[in-house]
Amino acid sequence: MSVMRRRALGFTGVALASALVLSGCAASETDSGSASCDVVTEVTWLNTIKIEIQEQFVAAVDEYNATNTDCVKISIIEYPQGEPFFSVATPLYEAGNAPVVMTVLQELPDMADRVMDWTGTDLAALAADGTLDKANINGKQVGIPVTAEAFGLLYNKAVLDEAGVDPTAIKTRDDLEAAFQAVEATGRSAVHFSGLWWSLGAHFTNVYHATAAAEQADRLAILDGLKAGSKDLMADPVFTNWLDTFDLLKEYSIDSASIADTDYDQGVENLGTGEVGFWFMGNWAEPNLLQTDPAGSFGVMPVPISNDASAYGNDGISVGVPFYIIIDEEQSTPEERAGAMAFISWLLTTPEGQARWSGPIENDGMNFIPVYDGFTVEPTTYMSQDIAKYIAAGKSLAWINSYYPTGLQDVYGAAAQKYYDGVSNRATFAKELAAAWAE
Amino acid sequence: MARTTAKRIANIKNFAIFGLIPLMIFALVLVTPFIRGIFYTFTDWNGFEYEEFVGFANYEASLADETFWKAIWMTFGYVGASLVLVNLVGFGLALLVTIPMRGANILRTAFFVPNLIGGVILGLIWQFLFDQALPTISENFNLPIFQENWLLKPDTAFWSLVIVTVWQMSGYMMIIYVTGLMSIEKDVLEAALIDGSTGWRTLTQIKIPLMASAFTISLFLTLRNTFMAYDVNLALTGGGPYRSTELISLHVFKEAFGFGFFGTGQAQAVLMFLIIAVAAITQVIISKRTEVQR
Repeated sequence: MSVMRRRALGFTGVALASALVLSGCAASETDSGSASCDVVTEVTWLNTIKIEIQEQFVAAVDEYNATNTDCVKISIIEYPQGEPFFSVATPLYEAGNAPVVMTVLQELPDMADRVMDWTGTDLAALAADGTLDKANINGKQVGIPVTAEAFGLLYNKAVLDEAGVDPTAIKTRDDLEAAFQAVEATGRSAVHFSGLWWSLGAHFTNVYHATAAAEQADRLAILDGLKAGSKDLMADPVFTNWLDTFDLLKEYSIDSASIADTDYDQGVENLGTGEVGFWFMGNWAEPNLLQTDPAGSFGVMPVPISNDASAYGNDGISVGVPFYIIIDEEQSTPEERAGAMAFISWLLTTPEGQARWSGPIENDGMNFIPVYDGFTVEPTTYMSQDIAKYIAAGKSLAWINSYYPTGLQDVYGAAAQKYYDGVSNRATFAKELAAAWAE
Repeated sequence: MARTTAKRIANIKNFAIFGLIPLMIFALVLVTPFIRGIFYTFTDWNGFEYEEFVGFANYEASLADETFWKAIWMTFGYVGASLVLVNLVGFGLALLVTIPMRGANILRTAFFVPNLIGGVILGLIWQFLFDQALPTISENFNLPIFQENWLLKPDTAFWSLVIVTVWQMSGYMMIIYVTGLMSIEKDVLEAALIDGSTGWRTLTQIKIPLMASAFTISLFLTLRNTFMAYDVNLALTGGGPYRSTELISLHVFKEAFGFGFFGTGQAQAVLMFLIIAVAAITQVIISKRTEVQR
């Protein structure tokens, strides 16, 4: 749930306040425009994919409900953002009210037995190469991808231009340090390094796991090694190299380490206003940054984890699928499943739906990078284009964090926060990361 | 005979009207989930369904879980500190507002108000205070104590929890102590005064023994509320920094819903119930002994 939580924490206040108001689940009420239908099938959709595009998703649902001829009405089941998926899903299942459509990532294995197999569907056939793998569990296509997201070092182009820094020329950790110093020479701080548990626990640890080996099988073998207790992190030069980069970001960070939850908004403000040149975060922050500075250009670049420019992963950004769409098969009717498919097909294959899915935020679009063939709409923002370049050049790193078992990123996050705060040293940090796999 | 039967029917009818609905609700929302919960701890329940019985495996796994023990010790520390401070402050306030003076009623209300604010809102308010307000004040007046955000270091985050708990609960306890103080008969106090008893002596030897039942109630309520504390914990620290302030309730919630370990989470909830039951019963038995009969 990393992705769902990432923005949510910035909104803790809102989420908790709405928890008080909602006290349960409310279905969004919209009239179905298809009056010619004898029976309108109501299809429930848990949540709104993610909070950043909540309004845009609701607008898409409203448009579909008002215009569709499939005799389908989509109802959103809202729940306070930031709550664990299971705390909402299990009571609904228990009550016999399971949502028809859900979006999950790390919970895929837990849900595999009770959801529909997408194998052979048109939508699964349209999905881009590699985007289905994570959701293929023992030959069953449990879910289909929502979008691709990327994380790495975000930068404020205006600041880097002023400092004379070309982000594409940064190939090693030393280059990065030189860039930091060049930004500092303009009277700014170099970088904002958030101490948020999910940023450190899921995304920053992924920078190590994704660069630990050049082949996916070897990278997953490291996870198995950690689980079996046979992997010694401190003996892995990639790991110590990664820690060097960790230290570098800490050293040049704008504030003395602060693990306050309010940090996300602070990061948006610091990079958005050009207070700093860099921020370790992902492209989900771009809409927030553009709100701070509508005229700004914000890009993303790799986090160099080595001084050897040719080291694997030094020149790539982490690109992955933050959510998979799953459809319940245990408590839903065939009509409901068909209705869900109709809506998803509308979103992903029709011009109207695609405009909602990948159109710009200001036009009520969700700005998703499409991962399906046949998209005529593409996000046009600066960062989206940056990401597209990395993907086209094959410079994308895996999201090993989507292979973390449910909850592991919390433990990783706590361990990383301790290191970040200077409470633990390298050896303790490595030990705590390994211990996270023990249970 | 006919008369007694009619009476019995009337009795049953009365019970049905007044007792049956509450009893049914009690059975449905408390007894049933409780029994089912215990049942689930002996299965491989995954939050959706169970396939087989696993005996005591969930309990063994819980007891072997270091973070569970950490949460337990953290909870004991929190309960201990809160128990002492809430009741000291509550009793102190009660003494203060029973002094005959102008505005005593307004003070009573003022001290009680924090109790009317929900735990989540309270947590958010204090988050702001610790994060922004107190550091700013400390800086302006050069006070060393609150310059750093207390929620960011494990030790101070723990005391933040205690401070907020004391602030929230002592007003409520104050009301109970006020009731206790007012229930002491005037003649006893007057007799003590005539015998030359001073204020302190009257307090420790006359007032406190005569209102011991107020202490029993207050200690029980504090004990129960702090053992089961969840909302303030969630809203104020969220268990952070680095899971160092997770009390048992929050730990159980995370174990089940955050990590998906429903079996062990449920087992830990049952263990938590046992701990609280034992602690509460022990406390009531000890307190009852100190109460005096008039």
